[in-house]
Amino acid sequence: MQGQNQQQAYDRGITIFSPDGRLYQVEYAREAVKRGSASVGIRTPEGVVLVAERRSRSPLMERDSVEKLHKIDDHVGIASAGHVADARQLIDVARRQAQVNQLRYGETIGVETLTKSVTDHIQQYTQTGGARPFGVALLVGGVEDGEPRLFETDPSGTPYEWKAIAIGGNREEIQGYLEKEYNDELTLQGGIDLAIEAMAVGEEDGFPPEGLAISTIATESGEYRTLELDEIENRLAELDLLTEGDDE
Amino acid sequence: MKLDNTDPYEPELGASEWREQAGDEQNVNKTGTTTIGIATDEGVLIATDRRASLGGRFVSNKQVVKVEEIHPTAAMTLVGSVGGAQSFIKSLRAEVNLYETRRGEDMNIEALATLAGNFARGGPFFAINPIIGGVDEEGSHVYSIDPAGGVMEDDYTVTGSGMMVAYGLLEGEWHEDIEMDEARRLAARAVESAAERDTGSGNGLVLCEVTADGVDITEYDGFPDENEL
Repeated sequence: MQGQNQQQAYDRGITIFSPDGRLYQVEYAREAVKRGSASVGIRTPEGVVLVAERRSRSPLMERDSVEKLHKIDDHVGIASAGHVADARQLIDVARRQAQVNQLRYGETIGVETLTKSVTDHIQQYTQTGGARPFGVALLVGGVEDGEPRLFETDPSGTPYEWKAIAIGGNREEIQGYLEKEYNDELTLQGGIDLAIEAMAVGEEDGFPPEGLAISTIATESGEYRTLELDEIENRLAELDLLTEGDDE
Repeated sequence: MKLDNTDPYEPELGASEWREQAGDEQNVNKTGTTTIGIATDEGVLIATDRRASLGGRFVSNKQVVKVEEIHPTAAMTLVGSVGGAQSFIKSLRAEVNLYETRRGEDMNIEALATLAGNFARGGPFFAINPIIGGVDEEGSHVYSIDPAGGVMEDDYTVTGSGMMVAYGLLEGEWHEDIEMDEARRLAARAVESAAERDTGSGNGLVLCEVTADGVDITEYDGFPDENEL
């Protein structure tokens, strides 16, 4: 009886390792990410593409209120998967850190430096009593010194850099598709199309235009840009993945 | 839980220690000083005198080296309170090292000057008025930092109590395409002139050359002849 109680205790306290060296709460947080809708990031020589699926629970809901892509600074955006409320906290950490860097050094923050300041924040919540980890994974995309960069953060607070990556629900299948189809010479347009096609894996019908959010950070301009609804509709139509929106 | 501990106007490390004030103005060592920075295509030339004084009325040290390396390719002069300037330099060095180890590249000189200006504004209560000279990918830079945190870049600049004397010479002699050799002789003459008329400056010369290869500091006990420079 006592033994059983002790074993259970390992997944109660976030700051406690299990006997085999695992942090159960962090692993559960990763599960929370899988329950979220997917986001995809793709790095091309012409820039970084971020795509997120926007699920609507009801035709009465305003889809624009589902925020999955966030502008952090002129040259950086973040896509999230998992708990949206948790993501918002990290988004604000990132936005503030971007401005602190501007104040402190008079220069724009690098994508890698920004990612690491966010992951350092996430990590603190895996080692502090009374806290729970962030149930969210992020894709941080941007342009740094004229080079496109794309990073992932996970609930443990580890940063990874990627050429192309999926997070959230159906991650394995989408990642498998990206691994097959990605190449180093994609255009930005090609990157958008690949990201949409990857998102459509397992969603055979495709998406209504308001079901996706797409942003790019082009290498040349170095600026974050959100695609308009009609641009997304055009791409979906071209790729034969356009469905009727349930909003109409 | 506290995360955003990087107040942009304070050093990340040792800020509380840094804020300590010495109460007795009379006994604070100051460098009245003449310090000069000149940017050339090859790098930056910095020249200073070697006197520390108590209120400009008593010479408390005759062999101060008032220019120090603060970055692999940048140096700063000590102008104003010696204690304030010394801890300022230590804090800047720590920041430069943290930046490099965290980001894998050296801070550029504009960022270094911005940070120094922030610290001067938000940090110490001793008036300091240093020059920062450095070289980065963009080339040579000379900045003056004023006690209120003002940051100004220039082709050449002078700070310290002897500045008016030194500027007199520089205004006549400086030209757009000045080279390092000429800048060295000009700055040495300007410091020597200031030492003649300003009671806060004197006792010799220190020259510092900052290039893309690093910082090279040379000390002289007096004022050497032009052909020895």
